[in-house]
Amino acid sequence: MNKNIKLIFIIIFLLPLSYVSSFTIGDIPIQDEGRIKPLDTYARNHLLAFYGKRSISKINLSATDWLLNLVLDPEAGKNLKIFNIRNPEVVSSIFLDWSTDHKYSFNQILPGLRNQAALLSIIDEKPNNQRTTFEKQLIELSSNAMRFEEISYLKSLRLIPPNIGSEDEEWISPLEFILNGLNPDNYQNQILNSLQQYLAARMENDESAMTSSLVLYESALKNIPKNLFNIDTLKKETWLNQVNLFYISLGFYLFAFLMLGFSWMSNPNTLRKLSFLSLIIGFFAHGYGIILRMIIMSRPPVSTLYESVLFVSFIVILFALILEYFRKDGLGIFVGAVGGTIFHFIGFNYASDGDTLNMLVAVLNSNFWLATHVTTITMGYGASLVAGFIGHLYLVQSIREPSNTAYLKSVYNNMFGVTLVALFFTLFGTILGGIWADQSWGRFWGWDPKENGALLIVLWQLMMIHMRLSGLAKAQDFALGMSLNNIIVAMAWFGVNLLQVGLHSYGFDDGVAKNLFIFVGAELLFSFGMYYWSKKKSKRSISI
Amino acid sequence: MILHNIYKIISNPKIFVYTVLWLMVLVFFGTIAQKDIGLYASQMKYFSTYYFILFDYIPLPGGRLTLIIMTVNLASSLFKKNLWKMKKVGVIILHIGGLLLLVGGGVTAQFSSEGNMVINEGENIDFVDDYHRMELCLVNISLEDSLEYIVFDDELLSEGQIINYERLGVKIEIISRIENTRIQNRVTLGDSIYKGFLKEFVLLPKEPDKENTQNRPSIIFRVRGSDNNSDGIYGLFLGQRDLDIFDFKKNQYFTEFRRERSYLPFSIELLDFKKVLHPGTNVAKSFSSEINLIESKVPRRVLIQMNEPLRHQGYTFFQASFIEELDGEATVLAVVKNYGRLFPYISSIIMSIGLLVHLMVNLPKMIRKKPIQISE
Repeated sequence: MNKNIKLIFIIIFLLPLSYVSSFTIGDIPIQDEGRIKPLDTYARNHLLAFYGKRSISKINLSATDWLLNLVLDPEAGKNLKIFNIRNPEVVSSIFLDWSTDHKYSFNQILPGLRNQAALLSIIDEKPNNQRTTFEKQLIELSSNAMRFEEISYLKSLRLIPPNIGSEDEEWISPLEFILNGLNPDNYQNQILNSLQQYLAARMENDESAMTSSLVLYESALKNIPKNLFNIDTLKKETWLNQVNLFYISLGFYLFAFLMLGFSWMSNPNTLRKLSFLSLIIGFFAHGYGIILRMIIMSRPPVSTLYESVLFVSFIVILFALILEYFRKDGLGIFVGAVGGTIFHFIGFNYASDGDTLNMLVAVLNSNFWLATHVTTITMGYGASLVAGFIGHLYLVQSIREPSNTAYLKSVYNNMFGVTLVALFFTLFGTILGGIWADQSWGRFWGWDPKENGALLIVLWQLMMIHMRLSGLAKAQDFALGMSLNNIIVAMAWFGVNLLQVGLHSYGFDDGVAKNLFIFVGAELLFSFGMYYWSKKKSKRSISI
Repeated sequence: MILHNIYKIISNPKIFVYTVLWLMVLVFFGTIAQKDIGLYASQMKYFSTYYFILFDYIPLPGGRLTLIIMTVNLASSLFKKNLWKMKKVGVIILHIGGLLLLVGGGVTAQFSSEGNMVINEGENIDFVDDYHRMELCLVNISLEDSLEYIVFDDELLSEGQIINYERLGVKIEIISRIENTRIQNRVTLGDSIYKGFLKEFVLLPKEPDKENTQNRPSIIFRVRGSDNNSDGIYGLFLGQRDLDIFDFKKNQYFTEFRRERSYLPFSIELLDFKKVLHPGTNVAKSFSSEINLIESKVPRRVLIQMNEPLRHQGYTFFQASFIEELDGEATVLAVVKNYGRLFPYISSIIMSIGLLVHLMVNLPKMIRKKPIQISE
């Protein structure tokens, strides 16, 4: 075991070194959606928006290569089947035939979109919530086609920093430079020249000229007088894009679950340890991914819904590891592996919407409160879910082995302990949120839906604890209560956005509503089902 | 003995469980209701009341009453003898903190006031507009070197009220009060009972907005006892530009229907409002107002921004919103005076100490695998 731990630490400390590599074309800075990001991220997000994936695996083309090919040879790029249209209605509305791979090229869709100009302008005038799915998809396709064309002639590639180097200043694309006849500064000139050299070298397929032009590009970036971005951070982001730490952590969590399953069949001790180890490695990859995101955006771990999913699952695994460390019987691994896996899939769902590193609106743009309130409350969500998870296990266990009271008692004690920890974080997270509200707009409490959601979690946990302590609820009832607490957490976390009122309504789409209702239904069915079954069983075991 | 029994009842922990349960019901429905009736109305119906009426005849306890019961229950439970033991010290601290939080909420609910200030660039203002209450104002413009204001408060302005203002010998009868107003051209002209603005227009009610501050309230009233031909029916709405003129006792007055004002012991001048966007997007990165805080004619420059309010003489000024017009910008500052401000800060510190102490004493027992009886 000790050797293994050493090995883990060696791997972990070696990981960051792998991106201290040479400057690649994917690392060059571009300003897009309010921040400066590497070209690699820009290309991936656009390819994701058009094609639905972050690379074209069929012809083994990375996003950056796709983008550069498009710039160098727009005609070939416009004939590449890059637009993924999944709705047959949209396809037929632009006079195309439905094909099985539902991929179309720019040149295929353009005439149809031109024909529908009148329809598009009508849709454009409607507010978004009044558009039908077809209308939303058609207008999205048309704006994607526009973005595609702008990339093809370098219009939207804001690659050149302005000569008044303020971070709120818009960057300039090569096309704007030419059109406006701007007189480039020394470093702007360098950037333009090295970019030109690189593209020329790429046309010729001259590897060494490409490398030397990138060296020039990097030195040009270093000459920029103001400190607008950090080249190392850009490299880190490109590295994070390529490595995709969250796929790695998911792999380890799944492996941990598999090993745990095998450990129930044979060789329990070794396999359980292996499983525990796998969970730990996954946890470090997971945590490292979160830390890198924090470094890239220079802000605390949670500021968007996607990040809250990442962070809550991180906290779930953390608690699971602590539990496992003390119990050594696989319960913690089970909680961690299952919870971590589920949340990773929820997270991937959010990540498929586009760039996950977005800028924040003014009121949220406060690192101090993001670090305190948001982090605390998401830790509370995580701990609550762990308590809920143990609640489920308790109910299941009291059906499987109602006579094993010692085991049940120990599970119950864990659950009660985690509930107290959860209450600590949800309560103070909520109060800190109130204090933020007091600082930002002058009232501690305003009965805003998100505040109420957090309050409901706190009240539910307060109620369960007091019911238990005052004898109103038995251990089994408490387990039921904590299982149902999951519903309240889900409602407070995702559900309040359904109402679309108040200050916290961000990041919401229709798919979430459906999933949420399925979850609530399943949870109710499972919790109450298990609860009554276990009650019946325990009565019978007493009567025997 | 009776006292003891009463004490036993009010300090019963089951009361806490039931009040929490009820509060959850309130919070749940109060939140759902916001989708239909808006935040303010839902707050008024479910949370800031002692009771509310369901389906027209079932009275149910509102948020305020529920919280008061909870406070009494919590306070009385602290007097239990078997609570005061060394191993429960964390629990005691925790509950005192919770009590303080509830008391602070009460203080805030009772003694705080809020409103907002809309200041154009270059303008200097020394009053706060209430969010909800209105006032009717008569302004005497015939005095030589000053203006005389006569203000009627919101309570006097409900439908059917008759204001008898003897100093001017005038009677004002409130005919109707409209929450949200639609203005239309009058079809049949010539009815001489309508005066001023109402000669050509009618004020009609329309569906009130969910957010009360989005509404345009108006008032229709009848004036008797003026000089000349000023008697008749008048209409006023919030934000009206051309104001009606009256003659009372040989003086000329104009009327104004406006948000209730409360005056500050200092004034605020807006020097500049700034909005910064994330480059290349429409997402705001920050808002800020550069102001002069003028007290006894001495200005002091202050920058108010998101998350960085100005606190002065018990008032707090927050960057809340802004108005962009062709001829310039105006800032909207939310103004709050809250005597209970510090309670949450103090109580959260106390509660976290309490919970941490309790967790430190008890958690090791709970996390261990071997079952150990946990203390009640």
